[in-house]
Amino acid sequence: MEKEKSKYPPGDFGIWILIYIELFTFGLFFIGFAFSRRLDIETFHTSQLLLDQRIGVINTILLITSSYFVVQALKLVKQKDFKKQLQKAVRYLFFAMLLGVVFLILKLFELGDKFAQGIHLSTNQFFMFYFILIVFHFAHVLLGLVILYNLFCNTKKGLYSPKDHKGFESGASYWHMVDLLWVVLFALIYLLR
Amino acid sequence: MEKNKIILSLLVFLTLFAFLAGQLELVKTLFIALLLATTFMKGCLIIEYFMNLSEVQVKYRIIPTVWLSVVITLIAVAYYL
Repeated sequence: MEKEKSKYPPGDFGIWILIYIELFTFGLFFIGFAFSRRLDIETFHTSQLLLDQRIGVINTILLITSSYFVVQALKLVKQKDFKKQLQKAVRYLFFAMLLGVVFLILKLFELGDKFAQGIHLSTNQFFMFYFILIVFHFAHVLLGLVILYNLFCNTKKGLYSPKDHKGFESGASYWHMVDLLWVVLFALIYLLR
Repeated sequence: MEKNKIILSLLVFLTLFAFLAGQLELVKTLFIALLLATTFMKGCLIIEYFMNLSEVQVKYRIIPTVWLSVVITLIAVAYYL
């Protein structure tokens, strides 16, 4: 028999309104980037060659692995014997945060390298989109880390249970949204030529 | 192998595949199609399994999926036209 579908998405409904708004906003930037490129393909192509795709790949793997750790922690929180698994869930969240921090450090190195080369927001249209999207996403990762830290502390205190974990689901959904946005951003900015 | 581990492995595989495909001298149109297809698949995996929307009613899971489809389609239009 097919498993009955939940009536609402996981977490608070408010977080999903925020997620839909964020997706819409980033979506406009992604489409704006793709169509602006058509006006000056040569500049976009030569500017894109200045980006290090390997850092983009590493960052993608860091974020999806971090998301996986959050999924695993949530899975443990939902289990009946959660109290016994508490330490394991806390460890998963710790590593999820750690990977998020490494992502931000790599991003800072990348941005610093661009500034050192004299590249900035007004260099050309490609870099205008690049800096806006990267910094905007960076801010979302930063907020996501604050949320993960909150989940980490609450889980450590044993504030979640198999019956009450809506707050955890909300935070986890936000973190997965950050991951989803990066997957599209990475393909568009770093790989598509 | 546990479901979530399979999803993570698939996501890593698709990421590396797209990156390596970019290193090969593929025909531009083929590469763009490959890259957008892998990005769409990765997005769907995150939406369905990480966000856990495969467990909720269609009207809620459809919003991010439609968003992803529209964004990927318009990017394809901008690159192919």
